[in-house]
Formats: sequence, structure tokens, C-alpha cells
Amino acid sequence: MAGLGKPRLSVVIRYLAVSTPPNQAELRAQLKSLLVSELNLAGRSPEDIGDDMLLFGEGGVGLDSLDALQIAMLVEEKFGVRIPEGDEARPIFRSVSTLGTFIERETSAK
Amino acid sequence: MTIVVTGLGAITALGDTLRETFDRVVEGERGFGNITLFDPGDVRARVVAQVRSLPEAAGDENGSSRTTELALRAAREALADARLDPRQVRTGLLLAGSTAGLFQTEMELVPLLSPSPDTARVDAALARMPSHLLTGPTDYVAAELGPFARVRSLSSACSSGVNAIAIAAEWLELGLVDAVVCGGADALCRVTLSGFNALAAVDPQGARPFDRRRKGLTLGEGAALLVLERAADAAARGQRAICSVLGWAARSEAHHITNPEATGDAPYRAMKAALDRAGLAPADVDYVNAHGTGTPLNDPMETRALVRLFGDDVGKVPVSTQKGMLGHTLAAAGAIETAITALAIERGILPPTGGLEEIDPDCAPLRHVLRATPQAIRVALSSSFGFGGMDAAVVLGAADAQTKPRRVRGVVVTGVAAVTPAGIFAGDAVADLAATTLPATRVTTPEGALDADRARRLDPVARLATLACARALDPVDANAGIVLGNAFGLIDATAELMKRFVEKGARMVRPADFPGLVPSSPAGHVSIYLGLRGPAMIVADHGVSGECAFTQAHEMVAAGDADRVCAGASEDKSPMIERWLTEIFGEGRYRRALPGDDAVPGPEEGLPRAEGAAFVALAAEDTPGAIARVESVHAWTDAVPALAPPPSGAVVVVGMLTAEVAAALDGSTWRDCPRIALAPATGAHEATGAMAIAVAAAKVARGDAPAALFLGIARGRGYAGVLCPPRAQP
Repeated sequence: MAGLGKPRLSVVIRYLAVSTPPNQAELRAQLKSLLVSELNLAGRSPEDIGDDMLLFGEGGVGLDSLDALQIAMLVEEKFGVRIPEGDEARPIFRSVSTLGTFIERETSAK
Repeated sequence: MTIVVTGLGAITALGDTLRETFDRVVEGERGFGNITLFDPGDVRARVVAQVRSLPEAAGDENGSSRTTELALRAAREALADARLDPRQVRTGLLLAGSTAGLFQTEMELVPLLSPSPDTARVDAALARMPSHLLTGPTDYVAAELGPFARVRSLSSACSSGVNAIAIAAEWLELGLVDAVVCGGADALCRVTLSGFNALAAVDPQGARPFDRRRKGLTLGEGAALLVLERAADAAARGQRAICSVLGWAARSEAHHITNPEATGDAPYRAMKAALDRAGLAPADVDYVNAHGTGTPLNDPMETRALVRLFGDDVGKVPVSTQKGMLGHTLAAAGAIETAITALAIERGILPPTGGLEEIDPDCAPLRHVLRATPQAIRVALSSSFGFGGMDAAVVLGAADAQTKPRRVRGVVVTGVAAVTPAGIFAGDAVADLAATTLPATRVTTPEGALDADRARRLDPVARLATLACARALDPVDANAGIVLGNAFGLIDATAELMKRFVEKGARMVRPADFPGLVPSSPAGHVSIYLGLRGPAMIVADHGVSGECAFTQAHEMVAAGDADRVCAGASEDKSPMIERWLTEIFGEGRYRRALPGDDAVPGPEEGLPRAEGAAFVALAAEDTPGAIARVESVHAWTDAVPALAPPPSGAVVVVGMLTAEVAAALDGSTWRDCPRIALAPATGAHEATGAMAIAVAAAKVARGDAPAALFLGIARGRGYAGVLCPPRAQP
């Protein structure tokens, strides 16, 4: 499948047209706002989501696989970064901080 | 009374007729190839099961749609096969769908979102819109092949086709018609292709059901229609039976809008209930036509359900699916697979699972049919599972099978509720709904009325419906089902998805949005939120969608297919509907002649369109807690039927007192009864009929009247019913 397994080149091209890399704290705050608004977490505010809080499964934010797909699309749209699929994605989706680290690493690799 | 299949028709990627399709399925052919119908953009899989013989412009000429054309071809084949003329025999039409005319309308939705769209674009777009609604294909097929005595449009996502057959069988059992043309149709379109792509649910190599390497489904298009009759009627007119329809059932997972519940509990319950209804045991089953989509989650889940159903015998029962050959045709799938199963019984051939080469260890307990095998089939099971966890199964038998007659059950109302901009009303308070005034056109949800986390995916139609259903059922019974009437579908969300598709490309279609715009989604959401595990589906019938839902639910309870069903309608305050659709379906300047449209007025002049929902909880007559009894229900497509005379003091309650409704009442024995119309209090919309039914039940329950009649008519199709106080409990 074109694009899914080897996103690097398109990441660079897309990234140039998107935005400059915010610092990690800004990035995390931005991600939290995005999660609340785009996943319609109406009962929560961005501050309720801790940097290292588990996004999926019990005891964390409580998101599911449909949310994961939505987050992957948002990250691609807002930051020009494609999150890999399958097992590779698990550590990236762990928390806001792992997502932020991944986005920063991918965007600074240009 | 045994119900038999006397005619079959289908059009698929493998053939213009069912017989051609079946022959190629038996050969193990796969109807897959890259899509040429439209440019899908940057998607994971361009491979689809497209009906190549159907021109891309099919449906354009007469303003219908690709889906309608598919349905028409399959219906003509089925009617010819059954040697049935719907104009000669009291025949019903029951068509299930999910995309309806979307292939024709989806690109037209985007300009309608613009604050100042170009007039020519608007004209072109609105000319298309009559085909957009779930009722679109049904209306066109009815106009082309009818008139039919009873007409219904329904959706339960990917189990729609099986539910259409089940309800058709109910109609025959209940004696409502003498033959039914039933099934499903869905065409490929940008919305479903980009939506399933966004959900990462498509296999770039083409679907490989039960295969270790499977990555998802392949979308297909097609239609299948079956003609069902009572065996005695078919025999009387010398028509051969292809097979019998012995049992059917629908159950819900109440789990998640897209992901199947992993243990397969609801599919198991649906298959077991279908066999129970047939009076058969799992050991009687000779063949299973599985749902088998080829998605990573479905196939192991379905295997678990079948292992639970068959126990130690699971390795003996042949199982196959044709989704690796015909693609997943959504609402048509259950009908196509049931039609194939019917031919498998007639011909004594087990059809194979195309695309399966390396059996997944998780699916290994099943006896997979890898190539077509001659074998006598006395009993076969066909199952379909849909988005929102709406699962259904049908049991077919040999042509000469016999079933015992069933008793038609009385139906009672156990609760009522309505949600309007004036507030949330339940029980006796509903009786005074007509005395409320409209403070706004939107409903304000009280703080805490819905759990924010669990309600985060609910669309506006589902939110209103959930508020009403919870109160109508109170307390919620986990075995209850839901029939939700909704006229227009989630057209705003569909337009927004298409806007992203057009402006940002297929990759940027929001995965979270797609499942929510499947027409059956609101019923799925209510089932998930409230934990309802009975049958769940949507029906649509223009301005009488609420009356239609009540009628449908009444049939299900009367036929013994559900013990408790919440029935009603929900309409949201949709900018697209208000700005555009009332222009064509109401009395606006874009009003166009629709099939079956004899200049019926739309919402009452001068009344604002508002949002709202109303539901009544129906149950079998011996259920404790009845507040009213359903004395009679009528549905018609021509003249208003004669109504039994009212007792003294009876009232008439209607959603909208249109000129047509007033004329029907004036011509009836209820002409002198006081009339209550709900639209002035609740705002004018397509769910006001459900408000009227709730009010009628509440008035009878409170002792305001010894009987209440509801009546609604839109586009030539009418519904009426009489509610009375419940009989004294023994």
C-alpha cells in the first residue's frame, strides 16, 4: 500500500506546508485540546488529561480503537505526520507525551 | 402455516441475475477489480466488487439512483421467477438499504453547505435529492412495479437484508398481505468507500474471509429481492416453492458502534432464537452462510458464536461466505446471501468461501467450504451482523418443510415519553402535550440527563431518542428492542464528510464521523447507550415515520419476534433539512413531483420546524404494567380503510392536521370525535406522528378517553391505530 508503510517522504512534504514545530509543552497542550474537542470528550477539560495518563483501556482516558483512528487522522491533518499502523503504533498511542514525542521527532527529521 | 420462497432475483459483481451469480460463485470466481465508478482518491484499497454491467449513469436519466436501478433489476427478476403480478395479488414491498441514492447525491451535498450557493448548483442538487432518502429506492420501485398493498423502507446497517426478509415473513404470518417482495439494495459510493477506508476496515488485496492474512472487507454493490408467500397460497396458484423460511430473529450487541463484541454473544442469541422460532435444534443445521466479512475482528468473533451454537458438532457443519467473491454489499448482503442459500438448498450444492486459502487458527474450528460441494441441505442458517451491533439470522428449509401455526399476540403500551423544546415529558404528563407552548425550536438537554462520556458519540437524532426511550421504558429492560422512525437520515453529517472528501481528500475523512451517518446509526446508539439487546432498526416513511415505526414494532411484538420494543421517531434541528429539504419535500419553490406524490402538503403552513422525539414502549399483552392496549393498527397505500366506530367520548390525536388527514377523518366513523393536533405545540416535523401516538396512549391511560385514534398520511401512505384501556389483569 502506497503511503502506509513508508510515510517519510510525504511527511516531509506535508510538514513544510503545515506549521513550525511547537515546543513539547505547547504541543501536549494542543494535543489535549484536540482530544477533547475532536473526540467530543464533553465531560472533560484538556487539563483533566495528564501528560502520561494512559489514553486507552481502563483507568486512563478510556479511549478505544475508533478514537485511535481519529487521532491518527488528526495528527496527520494538523502536523503532517503519519502514525504507522499495527503494533508499531501501540507505544506511540500510549499517552499524550508519547504522541508528542513522536510528532516532534518526525517533524524535526525534515 | 409455512412460508415459502417462490421467486429470487439478484444483481451482483458476478452476474446480472441470481442464477448467473450462483453459477460463478460455484466456480469459485471473485468479482473484484479496481473501481471505475468514480475516483476514490488516496485510499488503502481501490479494489471493489462493482457491478460492471450497470452503466455509470444508471438512474441519472429518470432522476432515480444507482441503488434504485439495482433494486429494480433484482425485483423484476424475482417477480418473473415467482410469476407474480403485484397488481393482481395483495403484495407488500419491503426494501432495506443504507446508501439509498447517495452515489447520485453525495457530490451535490457540498454546494448545499455553502452560505451562498450558486442557483444553478442548487437546482441541480435539489433535483437529485428525492433519491437521497432511505425511502428513495422504495418509492421508485413501488412506482415502477406497484402499486403495492404495504410498503416499508428499513435499515439495520449490514443486517438490513435479513431483517427485510424476517419482517416480510411476519407480514405473511400476520395475514397483512398475500405475497411480499423483500430484500436489500446498495450501490457503491464515495461516502462508504472513504468511510470504510477511514476505519481501516478494507483489505488492499481483496477480502479473504477466515484467512490468516485477512486485512478487512471489500466493498461491493448489488441487490437481491425475494418473493415470499404462504405455502398454501403458492400451491393454490400452482407456483413451485424454492425453499421455505422457517425462522428468523434479530438481537443487538449493545456494545460499540463499529467494533463487534468479541464473544459473539448477540450473533449467538440471534441464531439460537431463529432456530428456536423454527422449532429446530442446532444439530438440524446442514449449512451456515456466514456473515464472514474478512475483517480482523468479525471472523474470530463469528467463529466463537458458531462454536457456542454447535458445541462439539461445530466441525461437522459446513460454513461459507461469499463476501470474498461479491464483496460486502451492506444492506443488500443479507438478502443476496439468503438468496444464494435458497438456491443452494434447491440445487443441493454447498457454495464455497472465495478468497480463503490459509485458514486462520482462530477460525479453524469451523468446517470451511473451500470449493463447491454437492450435498443435500434440509436446513440452512444465514446470518448478518451490522454496525451498532445489530445482528440478524434467518433459517431456511427444504421446499416441503412444515411449520406449526403461531398465535398472534395482543400488544399493550407500558410507557410513553416525549422530548420537545418545551421539556421532557413521561407518563401522564404526555397527555397534556398539546397544551404546551413552543419556547424555542431546539431541545435543551438538562444537565446530567445523559452521561457525557457514554453519550459522546451520539448524533442529535440519537440523543433525543435516547432521552425519550429511557423514560418510555423506565425501567430499561435489557431484552427490549427499538424501532426508530427517521425521515431524512443524518444528512448534515453526510454533507460534512463529503466536504472533507472534496476539499481534503479521502485520507482526511474523519473515521469517527462515518459510522454515525449510517441511517441505522441512531437506533444502534440508543441500543448501546441504554443496553437494549433486542431487535434494533430504523424505518423511514417521510412525514409519517413515527406512525411507521409504531406499526413495525407492533408487528414484531404481535408476531412474537420481540417481547418488548420501544417505538417512536426522532428528528433533529437540521440546517440541511430546514434550508433545503423542506423546499422539496414541503411546499417550497423547489417542490418536485415525487413517485406516489399526489400533491400532499408538507408541514403545516406557518408552523416552525422544531426538533423532538417521542416513544411508546410496546409489549406482549400479558406483560405487567400495561397502561393502554393496541386495539387495531392499519397501514395503507390507497384508500383509507374502514375504521370500527368509536365509543362515546373517544378522541382523535394526530401529529399534523393536514388537509388530507382532515379529509380522511371526515370520511370515517370518527368524524365527530374531538381532534387534537400536536404540531402547534411541538413544532412541525416528521416525528409528530410519534408524539400523537404517545399522547393517544397517555390520554387513554389517564382515563381522559375510552379510546384514542391516531392517523397520519404522507405521500399516499397512511397509518392509523386505536388505543384503548388495558384489560384488567387476571
